[in-house]
Amino acid sequence: MDVEELKTRFVGEEFDSTEFEVKPADALAFARCCGETDPRYSDPRHPEYQAPPTFMTRFHGRRTMPEEFPEEYFQGSFDGGKTVIAHAPIPVGATLVGTSQIADVYRKTGRSGSMTFLVHRMEYRNQEGEPISTVDWKLIRKDEA
Amino acid sequence: MILDLHNHSIKSDDGRARVESYCQWIRKKEIPIDGFVLTEHRQYDDESDYRALEDEFGLRILKGSEVETEYGHVLVFGVNDDLRAAFDFTRIDLPLATVLEESGRCGAQAVPCHPGRPNVGLCAHYETRGVPEGVEIIEVASGGSRAGEDEAAAALAERHDYAGVGGSDAHIVSHIGRCATRFPREIRDEEDLVAALREGGFEAVRWT
Repeated sequence: MDVEELKTRFVGEEFDSTEFEVKPADALAFARCCGETDPRYSDPRHPEYQAPPTFMTRFHGRRTMPEEFPEEYFQGSFDGGKTVIAHAPIPVGATLVGTSQIADVYRKTGRSGSMTFLVHRMEYRNQEGEPISTVDWKLIRKDEA
Repeated sequence: MILDLHNHSIKSDDGRARVESYCQWIRKKEIPIDGFVLTEHRQYDDESDYRALEDEFGLRILKGSEVETEYGHVLVFGVNDDLRAAFDFTRIDLPLATVLEESGRCGAQAVPCHPGRPNVGLCAHYETRGVPEGVEIIEVASGGSRAGEDEAAAALAERHDYAGVGGSDAHIVSHIGRCATRFPREIRDEEDLVAALREGGFEAVRWT
């Protein structure tokens, strides 16, 4: 399956929906591990207390990829990092719903040759359906020479 | 007029700089350029309007593209609807001959960039694929070059009598203005840039 076919078949289609609880102890531990000093993230008594914006990167849906997604496109790939878009404060103690989709598949060339990039996106919403956070995770596969 | 001809904003998948941040950095660091060109990877950004930033910072902000061919990456200046219809900017296997020919036909100018870079520069492909027809200008000063890469580009330019331009290939704010091109004339827009490149008389400049 080539990249164009992957795009047509999988990009933009939600393949998983999972609930995640923002546990108070986890949020506080995450903030401390990150060296966070802003009391909004590190002091539960602060009136605007919330989880750090990058907190949602620790979650993962029940499925990593769509059911029929070809394994060779992510087996053996390496982590290209995550991008977080914060839409609203992450409420500590709340349960959020995270949906997964493949946001993009593309190829590019660089010093080390050609690579395929897979963008795995998780969108988190609160129980009212309001957007809280979008996390894009890039997976990079080095193409065969 | 001095323009940095090769930069990427957050519109590129690997760009980490907002255009406004580039402008602020140029002014804060008093970098002696009059403007820059955004050459986003494998696309042409026809949505963004930077005129307000141009006015606020007194900088010329132009748009081009960086496409990918079998000879490596190529900057394209003066992108227009005809050129966008001529080939698929998203492909990574465009024939260099097509990019050069169609650019010429559509009133644009193609400039192979970072020629000394492994895999994605011209030098790596000359021995195996032969010398391509139609190359007139190459990037001889690149802010993204490693040791020896710009020297290889300069040698290539001298051997084949190519004109040379400079660009930073900035992906983060602090990399803009490392390399640029000094033109002997005013450049107001993309058409002017193509005309200036075709007229010649420019030179690559480097500050790092």
